[in-house]
Amino acid sequence: MAMFWEFFTFEIRFRIKSVSTYVYFLVWFAFSFLSVASESFGPVGNSNGKVLLNGPYANSYNDLGSCLFGVIIIAAIFGTSILRDFQRDTYQILFTKPVSKFAYLGGRWAGSFVTTVFAFSGMLFGTFLGTFAPWADHARIGANHPSWYIQPFLSIIVVQIFFMGSLFFTVAGLTRKIFVVYLQGVALFMLYIIGLTVFSATRSLEHFWSGILDPVGLLLFNDITRYWTVIEMNTHLLPWDFSGNSPGIFLYNRLLWTAVGLLSLGGLWTFFPMSIEALTARSQGKRAAKARLQDAEEERPIRSLVAGRLPRVRQIFGPGTSLAQYLSLTRLRIHTITHEIPFWAIVGLLIVFAANNGHFAGHAGGADVWPVTYLMLQAVEGSATLFFFIVATLYAAELIWRERDNHFDGIHDALPMSETTDWISKFTAIVLVEAVLLAVTMLVGIVMQTIAGYYRYELLQYLKELYIVTLPQIVAFTFFALFIQTMVSNKFVGHGIVIGVFVLQPILFSFGWENTLYLPGATPPYTYSDMNGYGHFVPALFWSIAYWVSIFAFLGLVSIAYTRRGSDDSLGARTRLAWRRAPRLVPAATLLLLSAAGSGFWYFYNAHILNEYLTARDRRRIRAGYERDFKQYELLPQPKVTAVDAAVNIYPERRSFDGTGRFTLQNKSAAPITQVHVTDEQQSVSNVQFDRRFHLVSRAPRDLYSIYALDRPLDPGEVLTLTFSVGHTTRGFRDGNEPAEFAYNGTFFDAGYFPQIGYDQGFEIDDPRRRREEKLGPLEEMAPRGEPAHSRINLFSPNSDWITWHTVVSTSGEQVAIAPGYLQRAWQQDGRRFYEYSMGATHIANFYSYLSARYTTRKEAYSGPYGPVNLEVYYDPAHIYDIEDMLASSRAGLDYFQAHYSPFQFTQYRIMEFPRYRSFAQSFPNTVPYSEGIGFIGRMLHNDDVDLTYFVTAHELGHQWWGHQLIGAQVQGSNMMSETLAQYSAYMVMQQKYGKDYMRTLLS
Amino acid sequence: MPLTITDLSKTYPNGVRALKNVSLTIGNNMFGLLGPNGAGKSSLMRTVATLQDPDSGAITLDGLNVLTQKNEVRKLLGYLPQEFGVYPKLSAVDMLNHLAVLKGVTAAGERKEMVEALLQQTNLWEVRKKALSTYSGGMKQRFGIAQALLANPRLIIVDEPTAGLDPAERNRFLNLLASIGREVTVILSTHIVDDVRELCSRMAIIASGEVLLEGVPSETLAALEGQIWSRIVDTDDEFRALESELHVISTHLTAGQHEIRVFAPRSPGAGFRPVPSELEDVYFLHLSRHAKN
Repeated sequence: MAMFWEFFTFEIRFRIKSVSTYVYFLVWFAFSFLSVASESFGPVGNSNGKVLLNGPYANSYNDLGSCLFGVIIIAAIFGTSILRDFQRDTYQILFTKPVSKFAYLGGRWAGSFVTTVFAFSGMLFGTFLGTFAPWADHARIGANHPSWYIQPFLSIIVVQIFFMGSLFFTVAGLTRKIFVVYLQGVALFMLYIIGLTVFSATRSLEHFWSGILDPVGLLLFNDITRYWTVIEMNTHLLPWDFSGNSPGIFLYNRLLWTAVGLLSLGGLWTFFPMSIEALTARSQGKRAAKARLQDAEEERPIRSLVAGRLPRVRQIFGPGTSLAQYLSLTRLRIHTITHEIPFWAIVGLLIVFAANNGHFAGHAGGADVWPVTYLMLQAVEGSATLFFFIVATLYAAELIWRERDNHFDGIHDALPMSETTDWISKFTAIVLVEAVLLAVTMLVGIVMQTIAGYYRYELLQYLKELYIVTLPQIVAFTFFALFIQTMVSNKFVGHGIVIGVFVLQPILFSFGWENTLYLPGATPPYTYSDMNGYGHFVPALFWSIAYWVSIFAFLGLVSIAYTRRGSDDSLGARTRLAWRRAPRLVPAATLLLLSAAGSGFWYFYNAHILNEYLTARDRRRIRAGYERDFKQYELLPQPKVTAVDAAVNIYPERRSFDGTGRFTLQNKSAAPITQVHVTDEQQSVSNVQFDRRFHLVSRAPRDLYSIYALDRPLDPGEVLTLTFSVGHTTRGFRDGNEPAEFAYNGTFFDAGYFPQIGYDQGFEIDDPRRRREEKLGPLEEMAPRGEPAHSRINLFSPNSDWITWHTVVSTSGEQVAIAPGYLQRAWQQDGRRFYEYSMGATHIANFYSYLSARYTTRKEAYSGPYGPVNLEVYYDPAHIYDIEDMLASSRAGLDYFQAHYSPFQFTQYRIMEFPRYRSFAQSFPNTVPYSEGIGFIGRMLHNDDVDLTYFVTAHELGHQWWGHQLIGAQVQGSNMMSETLAQYSAYMVMQQKYGKDYMRTLLS
Repeated sequence: MPLTITDLSKTYPNGVRALKNVSLTIGNNMFGLLGPNGAGKSSLMRTVATLQDPDSGAITLDGLNVLTQKNEVRKLLGYLPQEFGVYPKLSAVDMLNHLAVLKGVTAAGERKEMVEALLQQTNLWEVRKKALSTYSGGMKQRFGIAQALLANPRLIIVDEPTAGLDPAERNRFLNLLASIGREVTVILSTHIVDDVRELCSRMAIIASGEVLLEGVPSETLAALEGQIWSRIVDTDDEFRALESELHVISTHLTAGQHEIRVFAPRSPGAGFRPVPSELEDVYFLHLSRHAKN
């Protein structure tokens, strides 16, 4: 026992002295602290805004998360503790002493266990301290209950440490290979993630064994909490007893994995040999090779002692030699990177992850789609990006420090070459390795597309995305990592800073630091669309990348100047050296600074001067101000729109439109109306005129809300005409937040760009966290049924009842422009196409949209009991897959709805594709804009696949009844009459086609 | 290729004065730098090898200012640091080829010839394709020698080159150095007096960063002629007594008994016999004098 104590305390002392212990602790501390202190950090904070951030659900969930990602930490602590003796060759000293197996294994294991528990206790302290952060959202922080902390910690984390730790300890003890120790954690982590995706892909309804057999517990957690209400989430811990959903599985799961831990320890106890001979029986590669070499050396015959003459060589120095030096150095550095196991482990992981994600590129949420290149790229690149940055971080450090780590610096630094040559070779080696990794990623994508049976490889898109968009960002990051590693005096401090800056970015962003120009390496978000390519995102992306690459390349130059050379590496000495080296670097530095300033200025000019720069918070403030100032007018009687007539010109190539419109307004209230209020959220309305004398009473900033007084009040029943201009002009580019409505190919905007009469309740902030932030009080709930004022207001367009509709829309010569209504006339004029649409005498909801794109059209006549209906699909020429499905669904829907509800009120039903910047389909009168993000590329691979296209088409068609024939008032329950019944309609159409069993799977 | 070191001083940030006004003139020959560990030999050699800047002083090499024209000096230089490591998983022949390119030997044929000759000379030919990380200490040291001699350097700085070599390899290395050293400047630091005796035409003894002696080994020996006395001492007490009275410069064990060597103008007493002076006496005498001051 004394000996056990000796080993135990030794292990503890060792861990107390090592920095890694505290780093692990800090990782968990920071994670759990931020999960509470920042409401937009962490999975719980980001989801439902009512779940307590320090509640039992949140704590259990975060503890599980820490167990998943902590697998690697557990492996690192337990694995190395047993391997230490074999790595440092102390086993020869150790095992020649009378050490008992219990003392040795037990002491090491217990020491590791205590250390790991300490590291993970960061979760407890972080959460607890987070609840005191003054800036936190205290509406989401409950009073601290000890059991909310202790029970999850003991039953989730400690059990997990016991089980995983024992397993890793055993594997390490039995293999005694450093490679295995470092890989087993990562491998288990990966296998688990892959297992999860595979399991969720089966859409299994099994909630018992899946929970018990889950070694980490995410499925288990889901099985238990899937039907929990918010109140349960804030009061219930994972139950030890047999209560709740899937009773007992938490207990069974913990018992099972504890038993596995015990078994593995038993195995180690049985099979671990306590003798040197047995421990080293298997030749330990490197050591054996060294011994053989030395034996051979001793047996060599005696050589002459007379020295031979060395040949004469010429030394040539010049540009040619610099190039040769550069090439030789680059080759050497690539050689050292590619001849190490960790690199291949990273490549292996990258391939496995990319292939796994690539497999699911065509499977999402139970539906199958064709893995078109943007989806495949998103899948393989998304999972690989982290690896690209890991490689850059890791090898920037390795290459900067390699000569010093290997003690080769004495020779290296005295070689006749310039620091620049040396530095550029390091940089090149990393970039080349990254370029190869990108190629591997692309290859995985293409292979996965092939496996999925999709053969339209868009190589150009692969190359653009990987080598023009991603590679420069990796290059910039590499510059930065090289710079940091050059400036700091310790590799790990460097890693800390580099990773810190990387991790800090999204955090700063969520705190409102959104400016691309000061978030290191940031680029504005972009979306590739098959319809629109990279479209309007290109300039902002290009200039932000140019800006950051220039800045980081400048830092790269600084790091050339600061290159360590020689033994004197105090910062003072290196600064002196840097000044001496600086003159050679000045031209390049000047160029880079000019490029940074130029691209930065251009970006600033576009994002801040041509366009108003607003952060997410600014935009919320505008909405909050609107609510505060104008909600008082919500129930003010306003005239209702009864007719809309508009002429709109779309200029897709400029992402702009202009137009004029005329609203016919009627006072349907019982009292005269003296004021007309106009909301203009998009700053798109101008030149408002009435057909009687009026004057402007007030206008809010940004034209958000204007009040006009009519000199002669509008009497009940009287009609008023309102004319106006509308338009949107795109100027340059913005810092993200590009309006999705306007694209070179795929314009789609709606009545939101037209004047809205009265107050628009839809503009209010609805996220409760954001409302608290703006001190707005809870969102007003819908009025109860029968409430007189709201019962008279249309749910969808409060400012109108039925309207009549006429419009003329024009667009560029190669595009088609579409608005609700029957096409009356189409003509060309000045190279532009014009279309006149009208609903004639048919009344529609005041709900309309304009679209323009280069479309291929598919038309079909449907003949039903109430007359023919023209079915039309307007789609991108590449998206041929779903057209039949959409038409079939439309036919089936018309059949079913007309048979069971009422006749279709129109003689046409049109679907048109729009870019996937927004992912929805929306039912306008006889007109359904449908995002390429949720349709057009669907496929049915398996009998139980969700036929999403068929479903969405039927749902939107259903809205032609539920929402366009029957419209509820603005009272509780109205949404049931639109959304629920449209959904019901879609289910009915699905059931007609696929049968009842299929519906059961679909609905689970 | 004369090397002139003038008033070189260096104090490290931790306060250690590594070099104190060191001045040396080194001609076209083998120059031995003798001194105990920590004497400043390595600091001096690193400074000449362009790896470190002095606080004050100057170094010129055949008209080149070593402190500012570093890259010019590096082209002429072959340097073997006292301690060095290697890249793992790289063979000796690959590494020498690489280093030869870096030293400007760009003609492939010449480079191959030189690398092969050096591998033969340093007796690494058989293991040239083995990874350097599997080399034993002696083999690694020989690799270090080989890389220092690439590209016919005209200034060779070797810091403790014979450390870790077995006697045969040490001899072979000294022979090799001697055959080269006739044409170029070689600075060799060592704490093994025999290296200097066998090889160097001039030498300096340094301790605590100061030059204690600079001269031709034979002349320094001659200066001590007739002043070194030796005696076998039986007991430690006797040894202690003699040590306090006389200027004992060294002691050797001979078959388990102390043989002490004493510096004295005339016979220091009974039992002492005159012995021929050795370079080691010069070394220890200067060190002990320096320690007393």
